[in-house]
Amino acid sequence: MENIDLLYHARGESKFIDDLRLPSDALYAAIFYSSTGHGRILSLDLRDALLMPGVKAILTSKDIPGENQIGGVIADETLLAEDEVHYAGQPIALVVAESPECARKAVKKIKVLFDELPVVLDPREAFRKGSFIIPPRIFSMGNTSLAWDNCLVIVEGRAETGAQEHLYLETQGSVAYPTDSGSLKVTSSTQAPTAVQRAVSRVTGLPMNKIEVEASRLGGGFGGKEDQANSFAAMAALSALKLNRPVKLVLSRQEDLRITGKRHPYSSDFKLGLDSEGRILAYEVTFYQNAGASADLSPAILDRTLFHCTNSYFVPNVKATAYSLRTNLPPMTAFRGFGAPQGMFAIESAIFKAAEKMGVEPSYLQEKNLLKEGDAFPYGQSAEGCRAKESWLAALETFETGEIKNRIEKFNRENQFFKKGFAFMPICFGISFTNASMNQAGALVHIYSDGSIGISTAAVEMGQGVNMKLRQIASAIFQVSLDKIKIEPANTTRVANTSPTAASAAADLNGKALEKACNELLERLLNAAALKLKTEDKPVIINEEILLKEEKTGLKWEDLVKMAFDERMDLTSHAHHITPGIYFDKLLNQGRPFNYHVYGTGVVEVTLDCLRGTYTVDSLKAIHDSGKPLNPLIDRGQAEGAAIQGLGWLTMEEIAYASKGPLLSDSLSAYKVPDVYFSPGELDIRFLKASDNPRGIFNSKAIGEPPFMYAIGVFFALYNAIKEFRPEVRMDFTAPLTNERLLLALYSKEKNTVTA
Amino acid sequence: MSKDSKKGGISRRKFLQGVGSGIIGSYVLTPGIAKAAEALKKNSEKLILSVPLTLKVNGKQAHLLVEPRTTLAEVLREKLGLTGTKVACNNGECGGCTVLLDKKAVYSCHILALDAEGKEVTTIEGIMKGENLHPIQQAFIDHDGLQCGFCTPGQVMAAEALLLKNPKPTRQDVLEGMSGNVCRCAAYPNIIESVLAAAEKAGSETAELK
Repeated sequence: MENIDLLYHARGESKFIDDLRLPSDALYAAIFYSSTGHGRILSLDLRDALLMPGVKAILTSKDIPGENQIGGVIADETLLAEDEVHYAGQPIALVVAESPECARKAVKKIKVLFDELPVVLDPREAFRKGSFIIPPRIFSMGNTSLAWDNCLVIVEGRAETGAQEHLYLETQGSVAYPTDSGSLKVTSSTQAPTAVQRAVSRVTGLPMNKIEVEASRLGGGFGGKEDQANSFAAMAALSALKLNRPVKLVLSRQEDLRITGKRHPYSSDFKLGLDSEGRILAYEVTFYQNAGASADLSPAILDRTLFHCTNSYFVPNVKATAYSLRTNLPPMTAFRGFGAPQGMFAIESAIFKAAEKMGVEPSYLQEKNLLKEGDAFPYGQSAEGCRAKESWLAALETFETGEIKNRIEKFNRENQFFKKGFAFMPICFGISFTNASMNQAGALVHIYSDGSIGISTAAVEMGQGVNMKLRQIASAIFQVSLDKIKIEPANTTRVANTSPTAASAAADLNGKALEKACNELLERLLNAAALKLKTEDKPVIINEEILLKEEKTGLKWEDLVKMAFDERMDLTSHAHHITPGIYFDKLLNQGRPFNYHVYGTGVVEVTLDCLRGTYTVDSLKAIHDSGKPLNPLIDRGQAEGAAIQGLGWLTMEEIAYASKGPLLSDSLSAYKVPDVYFSPGELDIRFLKASDNPRGIFNSKAIGEPPFMYAIGVFFALYNAIKEFRPEVRMDFTAPLTNERLLLALYSKEKNTVTA
Repeated sequence: MSKDSKKGGISRRKFLQGVGSGIIGSYVLTPGIAKAAEALKKNSEKLILSVPLTLKVNGKQAHLLVEPRTTLAEVLREKLGLTGTKVACNNGECGGCTVLLDKKAVYSCHILALDAEGKEVTTIEGIMKGENLHPIQQAFIDHDGLQCGFCTPGQVMAAEALLLKNPKPTRQDVLEGMSGNVCRCAAYPNIIESVLAAAEKAGSETAELK
């Protein structure tokens, strides 16, 4: 199916923020940021920087006309530091100059003196100091303390997962233009135009109706531009307002790496109890979330960790406690999976450890405990349309996992220094923003008098193919070809008060609103056709032709539109959609937060070079429940990309900070992400057959995030391979499992435990 | 990431440090760097003079005045308005800015514009045959070899360089040829398919001509 976005991308014609042609009076901003993790600003010397030719202004917190505040969930984050800095990379001042080079040169001439304060980077240390972002969150079901007595096997342990850099190839950026009547137009590389509009309004003091925000397309977002695009747009807007000239702020890669937050590192303690047959009876888990210096979206991410702490298993007794902890790192933020991967990694670690203790394969325990229809999640909702077991069985059969196992055993018998490992990874991921009020969307549809169609929603295209999906929806309803349908950039003046393109839900939410708006217009057009044809029967449109009782009427789409226009009919429709039936009580932590769940089962196979600690991911296969996929080609690409990104998180992507807080892995030579070589030799993701989803748009299911978590299997596949070489090893559950950690696991002399 | 020798060379940062402190001898001395050093030497007031440069880009001559330190990527994007070439790391690490220099792939953020003088520069804007897509562009579209599209021009140019050198690449050749280009959306399986398909199509068309 023709996807118009791809055409312009492949021709290099799609314009991203940094490609926009600016008026000749445009200025350029650059950020002066903290070099230390925590300190009081004793002095800030701007003189040399201001004297540089080409520098127009240097703005600090004192220049902010509105509020110096960009914290969306909790008001705890300044746009520009006042008297204290809380992380290395925290913006302190903005240089506005005639060129980006000039602005950056001036940044280097700013001198700051800090009174250094103690730096906390570890969430457990922050916990001991009582540095909580929000009060602890606890989800519970049943009674774990009573359940331990019935358990034959109890395992306890710790699971750690690291930060992950989004590394969207298009760095954060924004251009702000002063417009008539004291207003601003802001183009931003953001997943959330309304959030940008709110942040700009707050900082500039202008009402929201004087701020127009537009997002055409992003060169990748992955969550990194859900909340964190706000500050850079606000900086461009502030500069434009102050200087009354267009201002562009586009971060360099190094600035982006140093200033922006990542996926939250988590440290977790688990305790899992099972009966003699391997049924999980009780699970207690405590999550220490490293939130960085301010809340950002951490509370919502923390909740999603809790929502997914039992993954796709039924656990009758659960107590899950989660702490969001303030440290001296950049505010951590949304990243594909939004806390769920961290929660799921902990229970998978617990199951792996229990299997070790019981002398069974982890897959035995995984399969035994899969959710069944009607089973309760620890937050009051029960599994409906549950496809945990179905996808598991389909994976066994489709991928002939028995054969894989035999082949691997044979390989491992025959090879001394190369060992293969293999692991299953079932997933269950809830779809909806867990903040119920965010589950709303609007769509504005114009049919122009020539029959072409323009669609506006809040969905931001960032590679996930949402524009194509929206066009498909309109095309199916109006029965017109795709080339008649254009998707407009998300713009706050066309569709207002919108939710971010996030939570995998953009196609669902915006698609449903669009469906409604299109159906309203269709109804009007068909009534007009009936009038014209002087009939009581309802005409239909098939392939741009109007049919009556299955007979052609000679009327075509264009004729119908023209006629409706001449009849002075409204050819514009706006519709609003809310996800029905979802709610969540944040005091009781009970409700029905999710519209539906996505299920699937992944199988990962690796070969480990036991001399070098290097490995290849030979295959990642999965049976994935995508309902009736709206666009199988796009959905497969999403699933594959998510899985590979997940593999990176668990293996090679390691973020390192210096003890005072500055980021050490601040370039692509220090921070490795998967390249084409790393991509598994066989990446085979198939959609579960005979699935559907009446709650999704056109019976489809959301696709963006869930497949990320198949990659968790790679950790355990590698662990299994290590054990083939060194059966006695008992490794910590610490991701990323880098080559360094693998080598330590293979050769460390520490008895039975490897702490990397 | 395996670093192909084609994308080696001197880092811009090192170059600037080198020029600044007069120790350029320790780096590879390209004609562009020599010219830049000369311009610096002549110019005692530390003001960096622009120097004339004639570039041949996509078959057209462009006469420019550039500061010696300017990279090819900057000239393409800012002086010539060819924004299809993306700068994603500006450090020779991601491949977003890949263009062809005499039919070989280079990171344009990583070489000086002065060093492109006298050579043929080809960018994403220069590979279409009139209104028709280049077969590699078509293959990327047909095989969904892209998602957000930001790395795509670089990927297409890397593929073009690969197929010019090796019209019948194996899968392994494709992995090597494309390994200098990061796609964070990780559309890699489809990128591999796209390149193989483009090669196959070109092969069958050549066979038909024969």
